[in-house]
Amino acid sequence: MLKYIAIRVAQIIFTFFVFLTLIFFLLNAQPGSSLIDQFTDPNMTAEMRQAIAKSFGLDKPLHEQYLIYLGNFLTGNLGVSFSNYPRPVIEIIFERAPRTLILFLSSTTLAFTIGFTMGKILAWRRGKVTEYVATIGGVTLYTIFLPWFGLMMIWFFAFILGWFPLGKFLDPVLWRGAPFNSDVIFGQMLTTASAVVVALFIVYFISRRLDPIRRQPTQIGGALVIGAAVLAVWIPHPAARYALDILHHLILPIATLATVSFAGSMLLTRNSMLETLREDFVMAARAKGLPDNVVRDKHAARNAMLPVVTAFVFGLALAIDGGVVTETIFSWPGMGQTLLQAVSRKDIPLAIGGLIFGGSLALTAHLIADILYAYLDPRIRYS
Amino acid sequence: MTDSISTTQSLSRESGVELDLLAREERITPVPLWRVRVKLWWRSARQNAAIFADNKIGLLGLAIILLFGVMALAHPILMATVWDARTYDPITGYSFDELRQPAPPSARHLLGTDPLGRDVLSQLMYSTRNEFILGLLAALITVTIATTIGATTAYFGGVYDMIFMRVADLIIMTPAISLLIVMCALFNPDLPQLAVVIGILSGFGGTTIIIKSQALSIRVKPFIEAAKVAGGGHRHIIMTHILPNLLPFSFLYMMFGVTAAIFSEATLSFFGLLNVRMSWGIMIFTAQAAGYLLSGVEYWWLLIPAGASITLLCSAFYLVGRALDEVVNPRLRKR
Amino acid sequence: MTQPILSVQNLTMHYATRKGDVSAVDDVSFDVMQGDALGLVGESGCGKSSIANCLLRLLPENARILQGAVRLDGANLTTLPEDQMRAYRWKRIAMVFQAAMNTLDPVYRVGDQIIEALHTHIETMTNAEARERVAELFKIVGLDPALMDRYPHEYSGGMRQRAVIAMALSCNPDVIIADEPTTALDVIVQDKLLREMCNIQKTLGMGMIYISHDIAVIAEVSNRMGVMYAGRLVELADTADIFARPQHPYTYALMSAFPSITGPKRELTTLPGEPPDLLNPPPGCRFHPRCPRATSVCARDVPAFKAMDARHSVACWHPVEG
Ligand SMILES: Nc1ncnc2c1ncn2[C@@H]1O[C@H](COP(=O)(O)OP(=O)(O)OP(=O)(O)O)[C@@H](O)[C@H]1O
Ligand SMILES: [Mg+2]
Repeated sequence: MLKYIAIRVAQIIFTFFVFLTLIFFLLNAQPGSSLIDQFTDPNMTAEMRQAIAKSFGLDKPLHEQYLIYLGNFLTGNLGVSFSNYPRPVIEIIFERAPRTLILFLSSTTLAFTIGFTMGKILAWRRGKVTEYVATIGGVTLYTIFLPWFGLMMIWFFAFILGWFPLGKFLDPVLWRGAPFNSDVIFGQMLTTASAVVVALFIVYFISRRLDPIRRQPTQIGGALVIGAAVLAVWIPHPAARYALDILHHLILPIATLATVSFAGSMLLTRNSMLETLREDFVMAARAKGLPDNVVRDKHAARNAMLPVVTAFVFGLALAIDGGVVTETIFSWPGMGQTLLQAVSRKDIPLAIGGLIFGGSLALTAHLIADILYAYLDPRIRYS
Repeated sequence: MTDSISTTQSLSRESGVELDLLAREERITPVPLWRVRVKLWWRSARQNAAIFADNKIGLLGLAIILLFGVMALAHPILMATVWDARTYDPITGYSFDELRQPAPPSARHLLGTDPLGRDVLSQLMYSTRNEFILGLLAALITVTIATTIGATTAYFGGVYDMIFMRVADLIIMTPAISLLIVMCALFNPDLPQLAVVIGILSGFGGTTIIIKSQALSIRVKPFIEAAKVAGGGHRHIIMTHILPNLLPFSFLYMMFGVTAAIFSEATLSFFGLLNVRMSWGIMIFTAQAAGYLLSGVEYWWLLIPAGASITLLCSAFYLVGRALDEVVNPRLRKR
Repeated sequence: MTQPILSVQNLTMHYATRKGDVSAVDDVSFDVMQGDALGLVGESGCGKSSIANCLLRLLPENARILQGAVRLDGANLTTLPEDQMRAYRWKRIAMVFQAAMNTLDPVYRVGDQIIEALHTHIETMTNAEARERVAELFKIVGLDPALMDRYPHEYSGGMRQRAVIAMALSCNPDVIIADEPTTALDVIVQDKLLREMCNIQKTLGMGMIYISHDIAVIAEVSNRMGVMYAGRLVELADTADIFARPQHPYTYALMSAFPSITGPKRELTTLPGEPPDLLNPPPGCRFHPRCPRATSVCARDVPAFKAMDARHSVACWHPVEG
């Protein structure tokens, strides 16, 4: 297992350097121009141009430029954004990455969970009508034009129903004169969320080792305790109102992203599950007298999950792209929106920074999902 | 004549079609090889069409594609006959008959006009052709590259295989739209250029991996070994034995390729990053840029037709792809 | 006379297919006594597995039990509601499947899969007790108890087979159904396991139904045996008795195809024709088109399954005289 992880990590790191190299050549492959010509922003002073040129080593030959570029990257120097001059790109990334991360993580987990659950139920109770509805509905959602769908979601849930804000990260009116920094509050919210996830996992793993009659009480009790702890921390919290505001802004983008991406998992789970249901061990599980839901979840779905996870891993890059579009539609100030803004303002260093961030996120997610897969399939874990 | 019989038999072995009958006819009257091939091809095509037709959802997809095809073909005809270019040109036209732009649907403008006074239906139909060209071109490039690489990497293996697989890994892990966004900003491509880029990206990426795994399963079939023993060269084996068996899969993945290409183009032009004058994405972009986003139902013709068209055409190709999947992957078929 | 622990009465089951009904089990009756090892023998596709699946009611969606009863403790398993049926599975009737190699779920430890069965039927059992029981079972089937924390893919075919048998024994069932449990193994392992299974069955004193298409295997494991042909049970008697005096022409043909070292020399005969298509089986006796003794009555009326003596029954109009 450790060897497997080590190999995957090495591969991912290698891939990442190839990715960086490709970006470098992309920048230099510009027809009849060097990078410096990209910085044609009229507001730029000669001094700014000089500084940028120097940081990219533009006065040196190509291979030295490449080494400088890599060196810069390793020291976290991604240049200076000039639409936000003189803020360094890396600082902008650190500020906005958490917002993208939360969107990405929660929507992908939600999409996978919903897709997997629905797919498994669809396969379990087959029927002509549900099959048609699920296939057509699933494919439509899977191929729906995301920007347009996002607009429709805003229009319906925010504009017509008024349930959610029209976009953005927070409500400026509410936050005007607030005694908190929104990034700090958001950080605290992220910490809480991570703590809850970790605690739930611990409860789950402890309860698995218990005798069967004590399993369920432990799980329910653990969940209640965790829920109570969260409430105990946040209800008296002075910024609770503000945190709720951020949460309120989060819901619609997450829902949009999850809606368009759950269908892929759903259709695939259904197919995979139909195949698994024909396996002998599912029959054997029934023969053992296990209740239907145990046969379905613990045996059939658990095995059907493996190919779905593989496909899900392949879809991670797609999910990041979805995030870019969704952030822009919802004016969610994360890295996706930053990327598009940078591109439209010809802020090349920031655009490249955004791209590198997207690539790193995809690679990391890929790595984690790979390890998770190995955990799910003992045939990989123990070999 | 004996020669022709033995070729027929080897052919039957490859395609897995029972040729007993044909071979018997053969003994009476020699039939040229090409006629046997056509016969064979025709027979399997008919069988496959029957399997495809069994899948109602696939037929629905095909119908949608045909509908859009008719729209695309009808546009130049309409422009040449009933639609006056000054009013109906999708890019430069202006409808002087309307008091206010955008105008709601009327007898003159079935889907109304856009904020710049142009006929929405004309724009929609004009863009359809572009979407088809872009989608099919990109998918063709994708599949050509993927099939070539898939067949050869599966056949040769080794370092050659490893290099291409690493490249494919890299492309899979790269957020393609983000990359395209930055590329568009740097190069500002037009439609055919974009098609080439998309084609190359997905050709070296995921499609290769899928087609290679198919090629691998063909490679281990006994007739490949037989051809090797018989002294067939690499080139010969790949061209006459692996490729023909791989092409159905390539065709299948072309359908998914079209979906991906149209989707990418629409997204990019929605953000106004493409050097394209009119497309479904641009229609939504125009509406958004003019501030009609949240007008919802009131100005529905600005957002719904274009958005629905993208979704419909994308899912139509996807549905056809799924139905074809059942044709080439018997495992997926229902009993 | 002792009561049978499991009694199958006039069981009839069809599979509905697009082409029509497949009559896979037709009017089959037999009893299993305490300590009995009943062998069911018949050609491939004659409905042996279908009977086994009927007993546990593990049927595909298209299967219909048209009539008959499976009685265990006075309960009729064919009509029992699903949630009550679950209590009978494994605890009363356990099964070693035909494709035993694939009966273990690849993602769980082998021991845990047995513990799962134990916990399902004995809710109060603690983990420690369950592990102890699994270790005990592993010893019975000749596996090292340390293997219980390994995954199925780490087992060899023979080991998996033993684990599956251990799993079937876990809840001390009244009856074990073994559906060709050794077909995927090589002959030596097959033989060894067969012998061990017999021993286990004898020492634990449970009933067993052993299904095979191999008459030699049946001869080795069973004390009672039933011969099936095209969905019907055609002969049922003590194994020794059937080998000595086969009465159904089909059994007779099977016996003569089976060379015997000790018995008198018989001519090896092969049956003409093919086993019938169960979609539309021949009327009357299903064997009549291939039967050397067939007369017009065989093609017209279904022969009753009648007792020739207390322990020997046959369904034939013209039984071979002993
Ligand atoms: N789900 C099903 N639907 C339709 N027909 C079926 C189904 N399952 C089995 N059959 C048919 O029922 C008949 C009996 O099958 P069964 O599996 O009981 O045979 P078997 O005696 O166990 O054969 P084998 O020795 O090969 O395992 C066969 O003709 C088979 O084709
Ligand atoms: Mg069987």
